[in-house]
Amino acid sequence: MKKALIALAVAALGSMPALAQQTIKIANIVELSGPGTTSGTNFKNGVELAVREINAAGGILGRRIETSTVDTQSNPGVAKGLTQKAVDQDVFAVFGPVFSGSIMVSMAETRRAEIPNFTGGEAAAITTQGNPYIFRTSFTQATAMPKIARYITDQAKAKTLSLIYVNNDFGKGGRDMLMKALEKSQTKIVADVSTESAQVDFSAAVLRARQANPDAIFVYTNEEESARVLRELRKQGWTKPVIGETVLTSQKVIELAGEAANGAVAHVGLTVDAPIPAMRAFRAKFEREYKYITDHNGIKGYTGMYVLKAAIEKVGKLDRKAVAKAMHGLKLRVADHPGILMDVEFDKNGDLDRDSFLTEVRNGKQEVTATLPPLSRK
Amino acid sequence: MRTPLALAAGLAAAAALVALPHFLGRSGVYLLSYWVVFVVATMGLNLTVGYAGQKSLGHAAFFGIGAYTVAILMKAGLSFWLGLPLAALLCFASGIVVGFPALRVQAIYLAFATLGFNTAAWLFMRNEEWLTGGTFGIKDIARPSLFGVSFDGHRAYYYLCLAVAAILAALLYGLLRSPWGKAFTALRDNPIRAESLGVDVRGYTLLAFAIGAAYAGVAGALFAPLLEFIDPAPFSVGASIMMYLMVVVGGPGYFFGPMLGAAVGVVLPEWLRFAQDWYLFVFGAAVVLLMIWLPDGLLSIPGRLRARREARAASAARAAAAARLDGGGR
Repeated sequence: MKKALIALAVAALGSMPALAQQTIKIANIVELSGPGTTSGTNFKNGVELAVREINAAGGILGRRIETSTVDTQSNPGVAKGLTQKAVDQDVFAVFGPVFSGSIMVSMAETRRAEIPNFTGGEAAAITTQGNPYIFRTSFTQATAMPKIARYITDQAKAKTLSLIYVNNDFGKGGRDMLMKALEKSQTKIVADVSTESAQVDFSAAVLRARQANPDAIFVYTNEEESARVLRELRKQGWTKPVIGETVLTSQKVIELAGEAANGAVAHVGLTVDAPIPAMRAFRAKFEREYKYITDHNGIKGYTGMYVLKAAIEKVGKLDRKAVAKAMHGLKLRVADHPGILMDVEFDKNGDLDRDSFLTEVRNGKQEVTATLPPLSRK
Repeated sequence: MRTPLALAAGLAAAAALVALPHFLGRSGVYLLSYWVVFVVATMGLNLTVGYAGQKSLGHAAFFGIGAYTVAILMKAGLSFWLGLPLAALLCFASGIVVGFPALRVQAIYLAFATLGFNTAAWLFMRNEEWLTGGTFGIKDIARPSLFGVSFDGHRAYYYLCLAVAAILAALLYGLLRSPWGKAFTALRDNPIRAESLGVDVRGYTLLAFAIGAAYAGVAGALFAPLLEFIDPAPFSVGASIMMYLMVVVGGPGYFFGPMLGAAVGVVLPEWLRFAQDWYLFVFGAAVVLLMIWLPDGLLSIPGRLRARREARAASAARAAAAARLDGGGR
């Protein structure tokens, strides 16, 4: 009992409210252990890279940014507690968590405390609850899937499609959105194959997808699993199109799948390989700093921090409510804010819209084949 | 608890638990509430594992069934106060069902059987989207109120959890001192002798599971409104193993074991955060060391000290006796 009390008392000391705010305090609440480690680490590294740059250039409104980073263990319950702790510490804004399940729990806390919260989560439900303090750093699946659906119907001209997806909130959410987007189109879904996270053998899944004899197969799983699906497709002699969203043509998948990745096509919201000079420069900076090439989560954290900077500067003072208000309907141009890397606009829900890319794997490299305009511009 | 000192310590601890939230911020109170919820859950597991000796690795499934029962019923417009007993009842019933394998298999085989149950329950929570919301979970679970008193605030909800925990602890205390409690320990220590003495082994094995499960159900019922959102993740096999660890670290078969064990499992990782990137490593290492030095858990320390004192006294007495004998032999 006594030990527990001591532990509790010490834990309490750590959560005392801070004194006068000379710096702008930002809390990184991210997945540094558990299944979300890759996403969380990249997101955090992106945020910290941006913070270092901003501080070196004189901070925001002349104040330095101070970040603290904590690990959620990819556990929603822990994420909620850490967010409360950040609230107790009176931070100006919260970045993360990246996993949708965690942000769904923790954003109630930042909302109650009226603290702007930037998330890497892509589940559609995050921004459909009228929370005025939640902002995305990437597309939601509700934005990305209609774009790829348009490609499947109009460009790939697939009349029939088989789906292979991973049954977690990410995979299931994406599958539901794609089905909705394809509902009124010419493309019919002929097989709907659910797979497990960390599944190793995909021979049965691929066989089922193939046996429906579709014009194309859509693969929506995490990195390792995507690579295994691609290898299995090659093994079973599939030659028609393989289409995906973001993950399928990512660097990690190409490395793991090797030759089998060639020919895979995917819509990508954010990629360090985008044919944009600012993005190339970011890629180089990130690699110099951390000795590896980031996935889209690094871009999310980096641009999210610069979006916050732009919003604060627009308001002209450190007022959380005013900043959150200014974020809704905010339109930013790279010409004015180089750090955001791509033109972006936020709507009243905290969702964002911007250009995105169609990519294809050629000779073991992801190549951008087309730039797709924001959905709002069509 | 027999000496006045222990009684005073108990009263001081109770007073501290009541007073502590007023010295803590939101996050501190939340952590404390989280701890209380896990104390309730592990009290049940302690009964199953520590007192009755049934190796169960499916406790998180009951925890989840409790949480989902309350969440689903509250979403259907029913009261929390109806959901809470229903959660306990449903878990009691599923506990009996899961207890049946325990009549046939023991030890590690039973652990695997319950682990299988946990996986099945988890898959059900994840796949039956019409009922459980699947991977998207159930959001906006309200906190209850009673006779016009709202438990929505973080301190108010903590006191609700604490009150429920206190009632359940008192019930367990009574149960363990009843003939049932004696039967459970008899079952653990020597089932054959227990049966030959007329203990209904079959009935008590099932009861040990069912009552333990009911505690987990109540804990789950408190857990859902605490987070205000549930998805299947906290009810996986990993969570069952964590709860088992809490029981073992605290001291299986000690009444206050779950209080300490849950503190180690819930509070210690948070407290270790000063170690930054290493905090989970430090936590893991601490648990390993604990298991090496104190295989019977933290609460075995007083017993070990007493045993050592007695051993020393006994060996001194032996030495004295030997010296006397040597002297007499000459």
